[in-house]
Amino acid sequence: MFSDVELEAYLDEALPGDAMSRIEAEVRTSADLATRLAGIHARRDSGAHSLGDIWRRHRLTCPTRNELGSFLLGVLPEGHAAYIAFHLREAGCRLCQANHDDLQRQQAESADAGQRRRRKYFESSAGYLRRP
Amino acid sequence: MGHANVGESNGDVPSDGDRIAAPLHGSNRSFMPAVSQSDTLLIDRIRGGESDAWDELIGRFEGRLLAFVEARLRDRSTSEDVVQETFIGFLTSLPNYDTRRPLESYLFSIAAHKLTDHLRRQGRRPALPLVSGGTSSGEEWEVPGSQRPASSLARSGERKHLEETALVQAIAQLLAHWRSRGDWEKIQCTELLFVRGVANKDVALRLGISEQTVANYKFDFLAKLRAAVRQQGLPEEVFPELSPEAP
Repeated sequence: MFSDVELEAYLDEALPGDAMSRIEAEVRTSADLATRLAGIHARRDSGAHSLGDIWRRHRLTCPTRNELGSFLLGVLPEGHAAYIAFHLREAGCRLCQANHDDLQRQQAESADAGQRRRRKYFESSAGYLRRP
Repeated sequence: MGHANVGESNGDVPSDGDRIAAPLHGSNRSFMPAVSQSDTLLIDRIRGGESDAWDELIGRFEGRLLAFVEARLRDRSTSEDVVQETFIGFLTSLPNYDTRRPLESYLFSIAAHKLTDHLRRQGRRPALPLVSGGTSSGEEWEVPGSQRPASSLARSGERKHLEETALVQAIAQLLAHWRSRGDWEKIQCTELLFVRGVANKDVALRLGISEQTVANYKFDFLAKLRAAVRQQGLPEEVFPELSPEAP
């Protein structure tokens, strides 16, 4: 049974990948779950605030990217490092996990691979830049 | 019953209209920074059509966006396509982007919309049924634990913004206080309860504390938020989780 808070996070694409997939699989076969999700969406649309939504949107407990870098280097005080490990693994913050994985990948990936992607993104999007 | 992609992207990027600016910072806070001046300058240059600035933004953010999308799709090539759509979406939405909003959060929100669109096209993410929201029969959605219909919650975007700001300030102050005392357990407990939606007994198991302690932390947190809402003279019914009747 998923909680309303979890379903709210699902609507925001904010749960860890495995949790997102579990809900997605169930909503494909459960009309009740789909109706619950739609109800939650309607409640938010009507103007009710949600603590989880506000907390996520303002990233109230997300470490900075610098702190994530320090965490990876193992140079943070114990309590702070333990909290960041919790935030990534238990709270399952997708955005911080993405930053963490990116920082880790930068250490392992060749410069060429990153450069190739950046070139591809640039060439496909630069045409949308507004010229003064 | 009609269907719509409720709660999901319609292909557009998110509106900034009802978002407040940067996260608020309490004392001793080391959470996400406010909007950086360098981001603001970068955006100004991109708005001016500088391709170097656009290249710089891509270089700064593409890795984290790719990690975000790939964690869900588990396919590098498709994930790169979604990131590509994200960057295009960012440029097309740039005239409406409010630079008081942190750039990274804005880019992630576009990526989430593009990801959702992709999953829907693949058939992985189903459309949801429409629910009543002021139907011809007069039925309307109601706040749980409240007798007030949705229509009575209608208020201006500015009003909602003020409510949200007040709540953010109250939560940020509590978090800063707990952090200054090294009280990480309270932060973890509150985050699991209200951001991940974990049940009290499971929070107790995960943190290795008693259910009574979890209940005490929860009670204390909600009581302080309720007090802050009252102090600001805000309507309590727009915060359903603060209702004493909330589960």
